[in-house]
Amino acid sequence: MYDISEQDIHVFVDAVSHYFMQITHEKAEIRGAFLARGESFPPTFDLTGMIKISGKLRGRVYFSAPRAMLARLLLSMHESCLSDEWLLDAVGEIANTIAGNARRHFGEAMEISVPETMSTPPKWQESAVRARPYVILVRWKRHDASVIVDIEPTPSAEVQT
Amino acid sequence: MNLLIVDDSTVIRSRIVRILSDPRLGFIRVVAMAKNGAEALTLFAQKQPELVTMDLTMPEMDGAECTEKMIALDSNVSILVVSALSDKATALKALKKGARGFLYKPFTDEQLIEAFVELTS
Repeated sequence: MYDISEQDIHVFVDAVSHYFMQITHEKAEIRGAFLARGESFPPTFDLTGMIKISGKLRGRVYFSAPRAMLARLLLSMHESCLSDEWLLDAVGEIANTIAGNARRHFGEAMEISVPETMSTPPKWQESAVRARPYVILVRWKRHDASVIVDIEPTPSAEVQT
Repeated sequence: MNLLIVDDSTVIRSRIVRILSDPRLGFIRVVAMAKNGAEALTLFAQKQPELVTMDLTMPEMDGAECTEKMIALDSNVSILVVSALSDKATALKALKKGARGFLYKPFTDEQLIEAFVELTS
């Protein structure tokens, strides 16, 4: 049975790298991509954007970052409003962009939802589809963030990549 | 030319407005902004813009359906789809529904300016 491969995860690494380069003209450092350990939950930060995945894949994609990183990102876009409302909007939009860009690889069979945003850690136990989600750690301007890819093929569906 | 911006992200709507201050786009004036397709259709009927930037993934009514409905109301409107959905099939579908251009997120200021210039030339 098909499962998410290392090559599939590289699509998300590329997407987050591309995001920072396009928006800030500065590279984000990819500090690692690994499977979350079974006994500990993936690392998240102050604010998290989450995209539900459906269709031939199911699960969720998260982007989580500290307020300070999101504020610097907004400043780099010449935005002066740095309220939590705007920071949450930004974290949701980044999650949406990363998941949307992954459709270049997975195709339209990967359906994505509108972003949901949260200022408390996601409740993994209620929603995880993988025992060990993939984690991509990103650093930009000395701030760490994470992309968490918790997706798997929907049972009885095939994915053409 | 009058522009309607349709995107569920406040940050993206604000960014598009800021980029429009570039002197090359001085002929474009933002007349309204909407955060979903349903709101966009109401504002489209009221303001009758010649240009629209359209996100695809939005609550209530998505950008593809909204594009189709706007074209049915005014086939002369120029719609630029601005979306993170990066597969070819989605871009082709949007163009089939009547959109005149497609810009992938994340975009640079220059890419949006070029897209507007191309759309209106």
